[in-house]
Amino acid sequence: MGKLALMIDLERCFGCKSCEAACKQEHRLGPGQYRNKVVWLGDASTGAPDFLTLTCQHCERPACLRACPVHPKAITKDPDTGVVEVHESLCTGCGECVMACPYSAMGYDAQGHHSVKCDLCPDRREKDLEPACAEICPGFAISFGERENLLEKAHEEGRHFRDHDHFLLKPQTIYLEKIARENGRVNGADGLMTHEKPSRPRFVDSPEASDVFEEKGPAFPYLHDKKTLQADRVVPGGCNFCFNCCTAKFHFQGDKLINVTGNDEDPVLNGKICPKAQFTLQLHHNEHRLEYPLKRVGRRGENKFERITWDQALDEIAAKLEVLRERWGTEALAMFVGTRTGLITQKGYARLFSQMWGTPNLQGTDPFCAAGKVVAYEVTHGINGNGNSYTPEDIGSAGMYLYVGDNQAETRPVYFGKVNDWRIKNKTKMVVVDPRYTATASKADKWLAIRPGTDMALALAMAHHIFSEDLHDARFCEEWVLGWERWRDFIFEKGYSPDWAEAATGISAEDIRALAGDVARADGCVIFGSRGLNQHTNSVQTNRAFMFVAAITGNWGRKGGAYVNMTAGPPIAANAPEHRRAKIGKPMARRSPAGWLSAMREGRPYPIKGLITCNNPLAQWPGQDDARAAFQALDLIVHIELFANETSAYADYVLPAAGGIEKGELGRTNDDRRIVWIDKMIDPPGEAKPDGWIWIELGRRLGFGDVMKEEYKDPGKFWDEMCIDNDFLRGVTQKRLHSVPWRWVRFPVASEDAPEQETLYLEGTTATGQPDGKRFPTPSGRLEFWTEALEEKFSKVGLSALPEFYSEKENLQGLPYLEYEHGDDDLEVISPFSKAPTGSRAARIVQPDKENLGQTLRRQGFETTLITGRPPAPHFHSWTHYFWQAQEMWPDLYCQIHPHKAQELGVEDGEKVRVETAHGAIEAMAWVNAGIREDSVYVPIGWGERQPYHPWRSVNFLTDIAQRDPCSDQTNLKSLLCRISRT
Amino acid sequence: MRRLDIGDRLLAYLVFAAAVVLVTFFAFQHELPREWHLPGSPILYLFGVVGTILLFVSLAFVITKRTGAGGSPLGWFSAHVVTATLGGVLVTIHSAGYLRYAPALLLLILLLLVILGVWARVRLSKDMAATFATREQSFSPPGSEDRERLARLIEEKESLLARLEPGADEGVFSPRLGHWLTRPGLTLAYAWLIARENKLLGVRSSVSTAQAYWRIVHIVLAFAFILGILGHVVTVTFFAGYVSGGEEIYWWHLTK
Repeated sequence: MGKLALMIDLERCFGCKSCEAACKQEHRLGPGQYRNKVVWLGDASTGAPDFLTLTCQHCERPACLRACPVHPKAITKDPDTGVVEVHESLCTGCGECVMACPYSAMGYDAQGHHSVKCDLCPDRREKDLEPACAEICPGFAISFGERENLLEKAHEEGRHFRDHDHFLLKPQTIYLEKIARENGRVNGADGLMTHEKPSRPRFVDSPEASDVFEEKGPAFPYLHDKKTLQADRVVPGGCNFCFNCCTAKFHFQGDKLINVTGNDEDPVLNGKICPKAQFTLQLHHNEHRLEYPLKRVGRRGENKFERITWDQALDEIAAKLEVLRERWGTEALAMFVGTRTGLITQKGYARLFSQMWGTPNLQGTDPFCAAGKVVAYEVTHGINGNGNSYTPEDIGSAGMYLYVGDNQAETRPVYFGKVNDWRIKNKTKMVVVDPRYTATASKADKWLAIRPGTDMALALAMAHHIFSEDLHDARFCEEWVLGWERWRDFIFEKGYSPDWAEAATGISAEDIRALAGDVARADGCVIFGSRGLNQHTNSVQTNRAFMFVAAITGNWGRKGGAYVNMTAGPPIAANAPEHRRAKIGKPMARRSPAGWLSAMREGRPYPIKGLITCNNPLAQWPGQDDARAAFQALDLIVHIELFANETSAYADYVLPAAGGIEKGELGRTNDDRRIVWIDKMIDPPGEAKPDGWIWIELGRRLGFGDVMKEEYKDPGKFWDEMCIDNDFLRGVTQKRLHSVPWRWVRFPVASEDAPEQETLYLEGTTATGQPDGKRFPTPSGRLEFWTEALEEKFSKVGLSALPEFYSEKENLQGLPYLEYEHGDDDLEVISPFSKAPTGSRAARIVQPDKENLGQTLRRQGFETTLITGRPPAPHFHSWTHYFWQAQEMWPDLYCQIHPHKAQELGVEDGEKVRVETAHGAIEAMAWVNAGIREDSVYVPIGWGERQPYHPWRSVNFLTDIAQRDPCSDQTNLKSLLCRISRT
Repeated sequence: MRRLDIGDRLLAYLVFAAAVVLVTFFAFQHELPREWHLPGSPILYLFGVVGTILLFVSLAFVITKRTGAGGSPLGWFSAHVVTATLGGVLVTIHSAGYLRYAPALLLLILLLLVILGVWARVRLSKDMAATFATREQSFSPPGSEDRERLARLIEEKESLLARLEPGADEGVFSPRLGHWLTRPGLTLAYAWLIARENKLLGVRSSVSTAQAYWRIVHIVLAFAFILGILGHVVTVTFFAGYVSGGEEIYWWHLTK
């Protein structure tokens, strides 16, 4: 056998830390113990992030081995494989090897007092498996094998190796250099760690961050004897954390979950998963889980409860609901059921309950995340979601990737790993438009640091250039687009040229022209958009503008060309029989729960007095001060969740929920229409119950038992019988889902034997459920930019079907913004964009004058734009903050701030700062880093003040309930004026 | 193989128990008969002897760890912790509270050894763990100057090693106790080259001073203690008159 080694590709690694999670899982390491670690580094001057997977180098002259004072050595080097291994039973824990390794790749177990290090997973090698890190890496950045073979492979790909043998130790781990871009530089920087002191987020490495784990060790199976934990069964399923919706395999010893790995049989995701999926272990073995129903005994918000039985809880809740209905009417109950609960709960159990109870006020997280793009898709091509797939033939065959406001590397890392791999293999151009130099941007050929809230201007200017230069796909436009000429004329008339957009976006006209030209000329361009476009008051129009760019360049209904704005939600819709539905007399107060606060506090447009909520609205909803005041005004709050959080503290009843493999459910919606089934594999902790069980039991007490049947507590049965009765899903039966080892079926499939479709809307095809020959599911069968019907719809909310540029009210540039004609206290406008009657607000675009809000705020010192968004890959909203390892990786709430701004304010890296907007204030740790526009700061979501390890006030104390898109009711979470100060 | 490690909690209990025993002894010493007040009385003499034997287990640990004789080094490590603690208690009692004489320095060294050992095990081990992944600059492209110096150094080591242990692979070789005993000159020269190489590798400069030098200090103190003990035994046994200062020699001795 030749010498074994790892080969780490710096071009492919995007810092998700999945390898770190896999290593700790495989070797049962606890907090502070490492065999590998992904270090976030960066060029201090440009902010270009770099990621270093630091692990043992298995040196030919191992300094650690020579430093070991024990004889025979506690560290040995296998003469055949070259693997350097520590023999823990011989190690006395003196720490000489830790100091001796100049790569700082020797770990140490501070509890067990011995060195730990990478040994390339001998147990796995015995079974012909790769080391855990290599197997799981979503970026395909870690390869394992005989060193000579790895070198040969890299040579064949024309890759260069990093020479990092400073010390003549002959390190055997191979690092592949980043690929030089056109200008010979790597993304504006000189490459990885060429600087004497690369920038590294100080708050992540602070000793205080890991001190929180000392009291109690991590829960099973970490720090348990690996040898005694052998799986006796493996069950395929999926991760239900995020919208990548990865398939996974769950390994059990008896009824104990001992490992979570990717599903290597999955033909799309290839067994790759991110850290979150692996943290499922920490979800199901977690001391912080809610286990019993609780009833409030203290003041609201005081967090004082007594344990009660399920019967008592449900009986009392049902009785209080009856009183509420009697006094205020059925619409006075609101239900907030987010994606955490699972699609079957959201679109099934809770939907049935709302129909039978009779409230229009059922909502999930969409208005905070994606409602804008949903509306944009619906009005442009008739249905939400793109029709493409992450296959080599489809998205993998694109001639260009353009990311706008989509940090896919951190929000859907497994998808991004594939795209990045295709980019490298096919030498595909990638451009990222984002105010931050994100992990995604670090892989791009070009990063365009756009001003937050001005993406629409970029799209309009790109279209202007494309039309001006006649670069559009004329045949596609003529045949498949309605109203494109009108839009083209509108753009010209308004003068939305690249020169015009330069001032608004901060991107040079030259770059805009080049980008537009590249998109138009590429043989297929996939334009990715996400929350960066969605979470604005111009959400729908911005999304439409980019959709239009994709369409006029022929990037719609083809392989390798698309506009992909995250998830394509399956049309699951459980319905009660018409005669069993309660009459709903009033429209939904507002599409966004942020618009319910007026109804909660002031009873306008009508009173909302009760709330059954899942998730964590008191960290997640914008305008936290307002939200908390509104919650105080409610007569009844029922909170259904897995962990006690800020919302629990305000609840009258807290009901412990089951999640993932504890209940049987669907994975989340995802980009490429995969419906992933997750079987119930274990019982939930304590007395926790599946959401479906809770809704059915509550429904039974209110007389809904004939529809919300006892047998539907079996989610598989409920799915087959109640959720899939339409042309899109009829074939996605339990039988078919269980017929494949990867447990997913890609919709639409109208019958059990209907084939899956890799790419929808191809020329010559008919859209699902449409008459023959109708390619797109719009009324016209074509993509619709402008029609009279659309114009009428948009005019109802004060806008035009032709996207006219406006930005946010709180902007630094004096850009046009929206003034609302209404508050949230009336029902004068009924949204033309919602399927059920829904209250809305009309607005008008105004040009800024001297007295606009932005001006006023700037005068008050609010001179920086606050961007909020997802934290790095190990985190996702609240849940991950209850997992020790996610907290170890990214412990504290941070505020990314440009060094120039920091210097101006006297703020040091790692120091606590106060961030204040016109709506509230919070504190966070400063991350001084040049990977962000100088005029902006970034604070991530997900932290809350009642979390166990690193509690911080939610960033939503800084956001505003009022700034919402009149079309979709989407909240602006990405552009608010703030001021920063040292605390 | 199961590790024979003494956990932090057990170590804390052990040291705490030792402290309790000593505090109790000295608190009630005045209640005890005269022989418990005289370090050389038969009973306290016995304490001293047994204590010293126990403390010398640590020396055995040092030897077994470096020679491979005697089985598990970790077992010997744990034995050194337990016996050093017990031995420390016994010799402290043996002192009977005579702290104004030279042998009291040994008690001071013993105390420092215990504090340093416990602190390293409980607190410094966290620093050792936190050392992982702190030297990212080692992955940047190297400079040629240091490499040339290192290359020369390695050549020197290889040439010296050919004489010290012919056939040994420099990349995995480090001198053992046997080398020090059989070829001290060559071994010292080799150790000097190792020290120079370590300096170029930044072995001790890359971590905190405490982490870099605690073990060296611990070893130096331990040897100072051993030398001190030997000196004490020799003086009380062979120079009893000098030790007594003209007073009664009431302990076992060979010469005055």
